[in-house]
Amino acid sequence: MKKQIQNAVFCLLFLTSLGLYAQQTISGVVTDGSGSPLPAVNVVVKGTSNGVSTDFDGNYTITAANGQVLVFSSIGFETQEANIAGATLNITLVESASELDEVVVIGYGTTTVKDATGSVTSITAEDFNQGAIVSSDQLLTGKVAGVVITNSGGAPDAAPNIRIRGGASLSAENSPLIVIDGIPLDVVTPAGVGNPLSLINPNDIASFSILKDASATAIYGSRASNGVILITTKKGTLGETKYNLSMSTSLSEVSEKLELMDGPTFERFINEYHPTYANLLGVNGEMYNTDWQDAVFRDSHSSIVNFSVAGNIEEKTPYRFSLGHTNTEGLVKTNDYERLSTTFRINPSFFDDKLKVDLNAKAFYVDKNAIDEGGVLGNIVSMDPTKPIYDDNSVFGGYFQGTRQDGGQTVLDGTWNPLAMLMQRQRPEKLLRILTNVELDYSLPFVDGLRAVVNLGLEKSDADIRETFSQDAIATYKVGRFNPGENYREEQSITNKTLEGYLAYAKDFDGLLQSLDAQAGYSYQNFRNEGTKDLFRYNETTGAREVLINENNPTNRYYSDLNLQSFFGRTNLNIAGKYLVTLSIRADASSLFAKNNRWGVFPAAAVAWRLSDEAFIENLNVFDNLKLRAGWGETGQSNISGAVGYYPSYPFFQIGSATSKYLPGENLYNATMFNPNLTWEKTTTLNAGIDFGIFNGVLSGSFDVFKRDTNDLLANAPVPPGQAPASSFIDNIGSTESEGFELSLDVQALNNENTVLNIFANGAYAKTTITDLEGIQQVGAGGTLPIGTGTFLLRHALNQQAGAAWVFRQMYNEAGEPVYNAFADLNQDGKITNDDRYLRPMRPNYTFGFGFNFSYKQLSLRSSFRGQYGGQIYNARRLTSGFIQRPIPVNTQALSNVLDFYSGAANPIIYDQIGNVALSDYFLEDASFIRCENITLGYAFEPLTNGTQIQASLTVNNAFLITKYSGQDPENFGGIDNEFYPRPRVFTLGLNFDF
Amino acid sequence: MKKLLLIFFVATVAVSCVDDLNTKPEIDLTLEELLKQDPNAVNGILSRLYGSFALSGADGPGSSDIDDDAGESPFLRGIVNLQDFTADGLKNRWGDDGLDQLTTATNWDENNKFFRYMYNRIYYTIPQANNLINVLGGVEVDNKSQVEGEVRFLRALAYYYLIDCFGKGVLATEENFGQSTPLPEVTRTELYNYVESELLAVEGLLPDTNTYGRADKAAAQFLLARLYMNAEVYTGTAQYSNALSYAEKVITGSGHTLAPEFLQNFSGDNHTSPEVIFPLIADADVSQSYGNTTYIVNGSLSGETMTLSDYGATDGWGGHRASKGWYGLFAADAAGLAASSDKRAHLFWTGGHAYEMESYKKWTDGFPSIKFRNSAFNNPSGTNTSFSSTDFPLFRLADAYLMYAEAQVRGGGGSAATALQYVNDVRVRAGATAITAGELTADFILDERGRELNFEGVRRSDLIRNGKFTGSSYLWPWKGNNLNGTSIPDHYKLFPIPQRSLEANPNLTQNTGY
Repeated sequence: MKKQIQNAVFCLLFLTSLGLYAQQTISGVVTDGSGSPLPAVNVVVKGTSNGVSTDFDGNYTITAANGQVLVFSSIGFETQEANIAGATLNITLVESASELDEVVVIGYGTTTVKDATGSVTSITAEDFNQGAIVSSDQLLTGKVAGVVITNSGGAPDAAPNIRIRGGASLSAENSPLIVIDGIPLDVVTPAGVGNPLSLINPNDIASFSILKDASATAIYGSRASNGVILITTKKGTLGETKYNLSMSTSLSEVSEKLELMDGPTFERFINEYHPTYANLLGVNGEMYNTDWQDAVFRDSHSSIVNFSVAGNIEEKTPYRFSLGHTNTEGLVKTNDYERLSTTFRINPSFFDDKLKVDLNAKAFYVDKNAIDEGGVLGNIVSMDPTKPIYDDNSVFGGYFQGTRQDGGQTVLDGTWNPLAMLMQRQRPEKLLRILTNVELDYSLPFVDGLRAVVNLGLEKSDADIRETFSQDAIATYKVGRFNPGENYREEQSITNKTLEGYLAYAKDFDGLLQSLDAQAGYSYQNFRNEGTKDLFRYNETTGAREVLINENNPTNRYYSDLNLQSFFGRTNLNIAGKYLVTLSIRADASSLFAKNNRWGVFPAAAVAWRLSDEAFIENLNVFDNLKLRAGWGETGQSNISGAVGYYPSYPFFQIGSATSKYLPGENLYNATMFNPNLTWEKTTTLNAGIDFGIFNGVLSGSFDVFKRDTNDLLANAPVPPGQAPASSFIDNIGSTESEGFELSLDVQALNNENTVLNIFANGAYAKTTITDLEGIQQVGAGGTLPIGTGTFLLRHALNQQAGAAWVFRQMYNEAGEPVYNAFADLNQDGKITNDDRYLRPMRPNYTFGFGFNFSYKQLSLRSSFRGQYGGQIYNARRLTSGFIQRPIPVNTQALSNVLDFYSGAANPIIYDQIGNVALSDYFLEDASFIRCENITLGYAFEPLTNGTQIQASLTVNNAFLITKYSGQDPENFGGIDNEFYPRPRVFTLGLNFDF
Repeated sequence: MKKLLLIFFVATVAVSCVDDLNTKPEIDLTLEELLKQDPNAVNGILSRLYGSFALSGADGPGSSDIDDDAGESPFLRGIVNLQDFTADGLKNRWGDDGLDQLTTATNWDENNKFFRYMYNRIYYTIPQANNLINVLGGVEVDNKSQVEGEVRFLRALAYYYLIDCFGKGVLATEENFGQSTPLPEVTRTELYNYVESELLAVEGLLPDTNTYGRADKAAAQFLLARLYMNAEVYTGTAQYSNALSYAEKVITGSGHTLAPEFLQNFSGDNHTSPEVIFPLIADADVSQSYGNTTYIVNGSLSGETMTLSDYGATDGWGGHRASKGWYGLFAADAAGLAASSDKRAHLFWTGGHAYEMESYKKWTDGFPSIKFRNSAFNNPSGTNTSFSSTDFPLFRLADAYLMYAEAQVRGGGGSAATALQYVNDVRVRAGATAITAGELTADFILDERGRELNFEGVRRSDLIRNGKFTGSSYLWPWKGNNLNGTSIPDHYKLFPIPQRSLEANPNLTQNTGY
């Protein structure tokens, strides 16, 4: 393999060397590292006064003699020299240390850090998290102030749950808009995909831009209320062809197990508290000692291999090709995840570089074995530890399984063997996804600086889910018979089309207005999601599994179509080189809303003052950079399809399912609820910020404060009783108000020849309060507690933070122990009713991240940490498995395991879980934590004689967690800790070759 | 030129795309599309309306029409919870938030989710009916007036439960359907007058007999009888003679007869019972719900002490048990129940259970009722199912017999001899001894109704009508959260209006005492 690559390198070098003999007029294009052309680069023949500048598209032409040297220089870039050896000399300039000139992608264009007017954070490869990175969001975690990424657990494909500045919506989506190479992503993820960001290979990402305030996001208008994450993938280069091969192998282990009773402890517990049930322990009097967590978890292995080529065709057409393979084992057995990805990107130019084409294709294939996560993770807790894993006499494939006799029939009894559940079920969820876009960027003749850009995108996903059971599977045992084979099938096809076209104008002027750029365009997006399902049910008489046919929809087809269209415009003005102004406007229409309420208009404006360019600041000789920013903008929100589907504004009839008929022989047609008055949720954000750099880059950072008002909230609200066929529906009601701040600091503590120490820290505060619900005091906000049915923890209540826990105040005795089932009578009316419940905010207001990058010669040590201060977590494990009565069989003849009362994992005072006990604030705990996200030790070897650079690294992800929380892990997106897939601690060995 | 072409291209695409904003579903249908696809679509919409009393939603037992738990919130489940668990004969042990308060008749408040479920269900069925009446106005269907009669009957039935449970609310009709400004509140009497006039009107529209599960004349007459029976509670003015005459219409005019065996009315094949006037249908295969009789059957079974297959069930939820408030009407201990000649006394599971309900939360305290079961009366060893196929006899003839007798005793006219005959018909059918004229008192009828009708969703109303629900004149286990029972306040005759509804319509006011 390696030899072949070397041969390829040689061939390419040979080919390139063929065209090196012309002289006199030399021309070329100067680009930056991302392949964008660089205007106004000084090109001088070394040792002469002969010089020119590149034009707007980075082109230059100069006369020089063969053998002379050209010097390329530009502010913000390292000066570069090159020997003249032909008529064409294309150069890629490397950005200089100054971060002020870093290019920042802002949607429909770019700007620089220096010129940015909004709250925009750019994260490039050097800032990325290290280690076993399976999905792109992991690159970012903890790196950006105000961006909180809480994955839903330790599964390989766990949903990332990204929140920028907290969420402002109640029932609508709170996740940011994600734009990959200019194409805004779908609002839904394909079937079987937990994490949409796992569908792009992290190794292909060049940078993230996070747009936080409305003045930055408003150009994305209606989908931008929750912020925007712009992902730019890597491009080819105009310099030497670069090959990269990176490989890593990882070992993962469970970082924190639950403190459950082992066999002997459980035996002791039953004999002590429930002696009448001691006969149910073990099997026929024989006691086993099974750790069901160990039975189900494993030390898992993962490997990642990525290969990429970045180069060009005849020094004119940059391209990049990559191939990646990721194989990740989840901590739970059989939970395997494999991804194959390939990308190809090519940037040809035509008509003297007037037409630039960016062709970008990405393909992914994912094969995942999905497990019954809730079932397995619940059963390892409740399964009796005195029972064995295997049983030679078992009819269930040799796995132990409790049974009882009912009317002469053997029926399943008690908890299902969790290991058997894993091993007896196969559920491959396969996905093929192709994401392509082509961008045409045409510099129009006649008007200097005017370009027309068209971006066409097509996304196609085909998902195939097939659930089957093996022979003797417990789950298929009905009325004495097994039903191996297919139990569920889903085939889904998603087709998303994007068309965006805009005109862009950019011009520099002499005089007060130094430069102006403007964009105006149109955007069209259509998202179509359709599929079919095979559903089955068990015949209650014969026990056979049968296809469940709904004759009105025999394939159980589903279909949805969402259309979004927009017009947008933006202008950036640079006045006197010190004052920067951005104005933008976007008009959006969504098919979710009825014709009359369809369009929303979202304007924004921002100004920035580059104080460091004012003489009175310059004279201080303190600031390298000082900029004040202020922005205002409106953004919209319409993403309610998760709550009410895709057609909430018009009346339709739904055909009842095969099990929801009523009158014999009749179909059942249900008039669906609709709200013709639905329209956009609107968010107004005010943002003020300061960017600073002092003492030649020793300390730099930024500070932002924001205030955000969201009105016409799309929230599920009760309808006036009797006036619509529903008890509640999405409506535009009420308001929320958010406020917060973000601070980012970067300290160059050491920077000399051998040693670099860079320390970074970020912190953010965000709080969203509900300020109006149109007369309603509270609406439900979910938070199902795992007890009985319909017990919900969370409420959206007036003048409270969204999603607050509505709980009773637990009473404690003098020793500080809780008094069982005793609550404070807050309104002192002598009885405990719902009026005695109070609201306690759940969401953390403070989040932070920090870390360092240290290097000494070829050795480097990097680490990053993140955490939250405040916030509450509901310890639902204590609720379900932390009370004395728990082991007692309910409707069965089997015992349930519990948390270890003897070790203090649960409190024996909690006797039962009835009435209001579940709603006690006793179960709420402080969710503050600091997590060591990663520690990486790296070593860069001396380049080999053929130029190959080798880097080796050893990384520990999730190295440790500091928290007072008594449960497993306080980092929980929903705030209710139950059936949690533990986050692994991952040790990774990585090797990286550049040649 | 190229620029122009490009602009032209972009503009053309933009204009042609604006239509794409009018997206349409392909599975769900507009009314026109539905009628085109299925000429009998109105029957399907009507089926949905009937089903709203038993099903949780249109998309399987996990779907919900209202934004409450699909399993817990169906209409029939609400009727059982609110009428039977709050009263003397039945208790539930689950201890879910809100359910304990029903079972102990204490600490009722506007946030109890079970009151909300019922209120939301009532006001889900009513606008669905209003919508269908409007739909009927614009389509051609056979028997349009009969269908309209059925719709109005179902709406009146929903309103009946509003009158009985909550005592006031808004009057939503087809005329104000879709209005977004909150409707005014109307009194219990106004609602009563509306329901009475509607039922009187639809009596003429409904057929003498209808296909199974659909309302006929007798259904409207029965509901009128029940409304008049409780008129004094609802309006302050007694209507016993009307109650008697409508009960009589049902008894003599409907063609229904008492089933030979009591148990035929509560078994898997009870659709064959001649006694059932209006059922709420359940079917283990095609009409599944956690809130139809599945709730009653599975909720009363537990593999811990019982053999589920004896009752045609595969799932036992271990929740409901009768208390001596019910089986005490037959005998003072388990042996007495077994020895009773009254077959209704045998419909309690006593093995492994205690007669006294020392703790309503302990499964083995109190006897589970085995009155309702999935197994067929005529072939009891047939299929075992996880969902029930037993229809719920919402109205049955024995109730009409007892209403006649009670109305007669309360001065509603009629014949005392007939009244006695009806009561004895009911008793003798069950194997109990006939009573004498001297024994026929209002108190006796209340007890007889307990023996005959417990678990059928009428007990609370019966106790209120007899002045025995609130206060301390009659105590039962766990009334007022006391083992031997204690007084509960008078305002408990009505449930509180749910907080959410008060907020959603500012015109609504809370019931006195809450």
